Amino acid sequence: MLPQIQESELNTLKSKRLTEIMAPVGDWASLQAALQGGADSIYFGIEQLNMRARATNNFKLEELSEIADVCSKKGVRTYLTLNTVLYDHDLPLMKRIINEVKRCGITAIIAADQAAISYASRQGVEVHISTQANISNIEMVEFYSHFADVMVLARELSLGLVKKIVDGIRERNITGPSGELVQIEIFAHGALCMAVSGKCYLSLHTYNSSANRGACKQNCRHAYKVINDEGQELVIDNEYIMSPKDLCTIDFLDQVLNTGVRVLKLEGRGRSPEYVKTVTQCYAEAALAVEQGTFNKEKVAGWKAHLEKVYNRGFWDGYYLGRKLGEWSQVHGSAATKEKVFTGKVLHYYPKAKVAHLRIKARGLSFKDQILIIGEKTGVAEPEIKSLWVDETSVQKVEKGSDCTIRIDQEVQEGDKVYVWEDRNP
Amino acid sequence: MGGPKPMRITFYRSKCIGCNYCVEAWPERWQMSKRDGKCVLIGAKKKGNIHQVQVGEYEREYNERAAAACPVNIIRINQ
Repeated sequence: MLPQIQESELNTLKSKRLTEIMAPVGDWASLQAALQGGADSIYFGIEQLNMRARATNNFKLEELSEIADVCSKKGVRTYLTLNTVLYDHDLPLMKRIINEVKRCGITAIIAADQAAISYASRQGVEVHISTQANISNIEMVEFYSHFADVMVLARELSLGLVKKIVDGIRERNITGPSGELVQIEIFAHGALCMAVSGKCYLSLHTYNSSANRGACKQNCRHAYKVINDEGQELVIDNEYIMSPKDLCTIDFLDQVLNTGVRVLKLEGRGRSPEYVKTVTQCYAEAALAVEQGTFNKEKVAGWKAHLEKVYNRGFWDGYYLGRKLGEWSQVHGSAATKEKVFTGKVLHYYPKAKVAHLRIKARGLSFKDQILIIGEKTGVAEPEIKSLWVDETSVQKVEKGSDCTIRIDQEVQEGDKVYVWEDRNP
Repeated sequence: MGGPKPMRITFYRSKCIGCNYCVEAWPERWQMSKRDGKCVLIGAKKKGNIHQVQVGEYEREYNERAAAACPVNIIRINQ
């Protein structure tokens, strides 16, 4: 369990850090989790025009102002993903979304389709170029600099190529619409595609379900058998022949930041709130450690242990260090070392006494358990159980079906779900 | 009465990703909304998130084609 950081301390750490940590947000609980983890910015999708149309419960257009309010109060920038392929019938919605972005004060949109890029730029809405545009060289950066101040590079570049692009921006003095030098953003953590980022048509080909419309069916995440036309099977020791492991750059983050990249993007809009909080917090701490010269092996081992607890397909260093392709995942789902098991619900919180009243429904709760309380307003609370009470009696264990109270400093809400971290054998 | 049951189409609109395949399968019943880029089931009554319409049996084949083509599986046709 990562230590919960108080808000005042979080702000101090944020103000010291130069690197922007951009967290993925798929719903209200993970938005709170991103804020608790110390994100400088969040990115999220609304309606169906984003690359996670199938994977998350996307926000609605009406929720934009609330998202902008919640985040701007915390000094967190907000980026809206509008990065699918766009068809003619999508153009009115795309324009409405951009108008709404402008009205609500969302910081920027992330787009790849030239229709969205050009409309946003005509409206004076800040644009970031999505990884879907696969920017891989300096002249592409130059081309897009007419429209955007921030660009996400293609995921397939080596760190050397990334550095060359960042250096090239300075040498050629490539500035965006704001007049500032173009900033480069790269993916630091999370899922990788087996194809050139997002440009995969497997899902469209087999299920008529286009990854480029945010409806990927993830063919690559399944096990496959190789059988020839005579029915003979080729035995392969890992049947997940198309499923890459997750990208994890925390153990060479010093090299990553050495390229001059200023924004680290964390993948995972389809993942859980505790994933968002853990990954955000680890990378926020690691980036600061690199900047302050206190980045070391022991710390990396600590962060890695936390990252392994939450959803992952095993880790590799992506394409950054020029590894040969072949870091294939051995599993269909997650290789996380821990899983959260639903336990019960919060019935009430007494703010004066800092006590939560819980109903234990699905499994017993013991004094030693590590718990998580997750909710839309709460985000992810990870209180340590110092004492467990049933009515007026202190107990070691609560059986399922009964109520109990625990002391918890962070305010939680009625209806929040309570989980216990359990070891998992992937 | 013993006649064939009328055919009922159920459409869970909020999950639509606007891919346009249903429109291509049977444009008489399916149309793309300019307003929000999602599909419209022509003639349907809306109850909450569910849009339903009863249609003649002769449409079955075309609507089944639309349902089969739908990538997010939100078009249901009663048997």
